[in-house]
Amino acid sequence: MTAVVLIDTLLLLLVTVTAVAIIEVRNLYASAMLTSVYSLLMALVWVNMHSMDVAFTEAAVGGGISTILLIGTLVHTAREEKPLKRRVHGKALALTALCGAALIYGTFDMPRFGDPKAPIHHFRVPEMMAQTVGFANSTAGKQAPPAGFDPLEYRSFNGAVPSVPVDPADTAWRETSVLAQHGIMLPKVNGHALHPAEPGHHLHPPDDFNGHVPNSVTSLLAAYRGYDTMFETTVIFTAGVSLILLLRRPRREGYLQRSAPLADQAILRVVSKMAIPFILLFGLYVITHGELGPGGGFQGGVVVACAFILFALIFGRPALYRVLPPPVCDLLTGLGVLMYSGTGLACLLLGGNFLDYAMLDPISPGDGEALGMTLVEYGVGITVSMVMLTIFNQLAEERSK
Amino acid sequence: MTDVLGIYNYWIYVVLMMIGLYGVIAKPNLIKQAIALGLFQTGIFLYYISMAVIDGGTAPIWTTIEDGAQKFQGPYDNPLPHVLILTAIVVSVSVLAVALALIINIKRSYGTIEADEIERMDHEDRLIEYRAGQAPDAADDAEARHHA
Repeated sequence: MTAVVLIDTLLLLLVTVTAVAIIEVRNLYASAMLTSVYSLLMALVWVNMHSMDVAFTEAAVGGGISTILLIGTLVHTAREEKPLKRRVHGKALALTALCGAALIYGTFDMPRFGDPKAPIHHFRVPEMMAQTVGFANSTAGKQAPPAGFDPLEYRSFNGAVPSVPVDPADTAWRETSVLAQHGIMLPKVNGHALHPAEPGHHLHPPDDFNGHVPNSVTSLLAAYRGYDTMFETTVIFTAGVSLILLLRRPRREGYLQRSAPLADQAILRVVSKMAIPFILLFGLYVITHGELGPGGGFQGGVVVACAFILFALIFGRPALYRVLPPPVCDLLTGLGVLMYSGTGLACLLLGGNFLDYAMLDPISPGDGEALGMTLVEYGVGITVSMVMLTIFNQLAEERSK
Repeated sequence: MTDVLGIYNYWIYVVLMMIGLYGVIAKPNLIKQAIALGLFQTGIFLYYISMAVIDGGTAPIWTTIEDGAQKFQGPYDNPLPHVLILTAIVVSVSVLAVALALIINIKRSYGTIEADEIERMDHEDRLIEYRAGQAPDAADDAEARHHA
């Protein structure tokens, strides 16, 4: 029994107890606060399972934003649940028990926790971990599978997936760029020698991870699943638009000019004034640093939004609207999505595939990848932060008439 | 014993999902239902992240560099479920936000956020209209009450 399993066991017990409390407690404020506790516990669980990026997101989103949204809604709906006639809903309990029993029966067929032989650690993993997605040549030695396992066997599990489709030495297609043909963005060789192991790449300084992005979560997010992430960003954008459609009142009614109730609390005012610049800086750091360490557009965007929300909570929304007027906020929301798809389009114009970041710098594809991923992460960050801010503004705007 | 610990995470995921499902069915309060839906989602997140863990593994961030080549200290956890769940968490907060906006609108037109009361009000309205000899139409009801 490893430490991971031991901590995991205890934390998950706590999580389950909190979940029961969230459902059973009648005061909705208590329920919202318990949701925050639950998210922070969950963030610990993710850290324990080495899932840093998810932990980051869970702490920022679950512990921060969603609690604020819930409390913002409770203010103008109801504080208490209506008392129920019967404490336990018999039919629901029977149904969930039945459903749960069936699912638990299913878990006996699952591979054991952390089992290195589980299919998930082999199917397509060599390609993914070697980050050779754009090149499709399995570079040797990136992550060796456990002894006794033939990755090729797992790959052939799906006949549709070709193992090595193209000749990795053939990089001529990378040099033919639409813009280069017209004399724009001519590729320059900055004294880089060809990489001996990967013919498409050029040798980089040692801190450059052979031109690959060190945080594989970000690299998968932006490259391997680039389309998926783009449309996730669009989903978030859609949520922001729906909130505006559902709750925003016509401009002519004006924004509610409420005084800021917390602004005369000296300690809150001074501390938040000192903290907000650092929260903003940290958010930008998380977005920019996304390819090197845990973090990225989603996490950083939420942190940036938290800074603005803190400002609005302490100094009032009129002050926030002076700093960031709603029309600007709306424009930025769309700009983020445009930035993401625009980066994809730029790669297309440069002669590659949509979101093939290597095309941004055809001579050293690693730098191109890093540049493209940073641009995309900023696009995601801008959209996420502005949508979170819009959601907060709309929910807080809605006062009892 | 190791066998039980090996699937313990999957049991907890089932329990969390079922707690969420119970909340959605048993609690008439709409905000409670939105929260319960969130619990259901975290159960699924737990399922995905648990699958990604590998014995003796570490976070999938390349670290050590020696002589320009990468030297690995051990196996890495599978990053793909992390990517899926990372985006799913942000989408789940968007879902929560839209749900809350709808709940606020419901509160505005019905004056309550308890599902059973809303249902009773709809039913009573239909009954009145039926007795008046009109065709029941729920959309018109809500509109009329909103303007009243």
